[in-house]
Amino acid sequence: MMSGGGEDNGEFYLRYYVGHKGKFGHEFLEFEFRPDGKLRYANNSNYKNDTMIRKEMFLTPSVLKECRRIISDSEIMKEDDSNWPEPDRVGRQELEIVMGNEHISFTTSKIGSLVDVQSSKDPEGLRIFYYLVQVGTTIG
Amino acid sequence: MANPEVDIVDFEPEDDDLMEEEGAIDEAPHPKIRSAITGGSSFSAPKKTKGRGFREETEAERNNRFASKDFDSLDSDGGPGPQRSIEGWIILVAGVHEEAQEDDLQNAFGEFGEVRNLHLNLDRRTGFVKVNQLPLFSTLQTSFCNDTPGNEEGYALIEYGKFEEAQAAISGMDGVELLTQIVTVDWAFSNGPFKRRNMRKRFVALLSSFTFSDAHYKERIR
Repeated sequence: MMSGGGEDNGEFYLRYYVGHKGKFGHEFLEFEFRPDGKLRYANNSNYKNDTMIRKEMFLTPSVLKECRRIISDSEIMKEDDSNWPEPDRVGRQELEIVMGNEHISFTTSKIGSLVDVQSSKDPEGLRIFYYLVQVGTTIG
Repeated sequence: MANPEVDIVDFEPEDDDLMEEEGAIDEAPHPKIRSAITGGSSFSAPKKTKGRGFREETEAERNNRFASKDFDSLDSDGGPGPQRSIEGWIILVAGVHEEAQEDDLQNAFGEFGEVRNLHLNLDRRTGFVKVNQLPLFSTLQTSFCNDTPGNEEGYALIEYGKFEEAQAAISGMDGVELLTQIVTVDWAFSNGPFKRRNMRKRFVALLSSFTFSDAHYKERIR
């Protein structure tokens, strides 16, 4: 069994945001895991006059534990966004995590592919972020 | 810095709705709520903070995108126990061997009923089970992973149509060896917030987190 540091500490919060502003307004996806198990999810686009989707539900401690394990194993908490690409017109990503006595709030641009990762000033750190945060919308 | 208000608040599910009450925000009379979040002043214990998010100004445009009201919720009585999802009952299988295939899970978990949905997230590069990937929720797949070698377990989400099937799968598979690894199996969704026996020890820390995220929501409602 793997066990990363701090994963059994009770305090855990995670928020991820990705979005941009364009001709369909402020299009974004955001979700957060709160320490009591509440998951909130919001997704907005004005494409075809779509309106914001907001959902919330409660997760079991087992799911939160798995999330903590994933974050812990990724070692994202050891990284720093100071050399990551700044958010730009193409978009913005935010990752905020509280785990144990550490609190990160990282911000960067959208990452199109690993090429962007490799050409950045911090390919090692940005790669961890890139693989941790892979968003697809293909599941029906 | 400890918030003296926190100590007299009992942790109950209703407390989770602090953000609905105007009083919650008054406890944090910071000129910018963002700074209350990121400055660490609302936490009971000092935290190591890192990232641009702590240095940046709040964007007015961000305010409304994550308001605390008007979220669609699953019908819930707020009591303890598993929660049905939109189409069925979803269980989490943790500790899945990285070389597991969907068939392996289908075979093992099909014993307990018809598997309506099975998500086993594969690493794009290796084809193995993704070990660092956050659980997903119905229409959205949010993949969290990394490619650090040495990780050897991932997770799967399995949906049954019937409560009894899901319950049988949990009872039958939790703690059982699957492909040489012990898997843990449990419900994915719950009717309400955690209720821990040792909440007394933890609730100060937890509530300080609520303060932090409540403030966050307040900011966005405006």
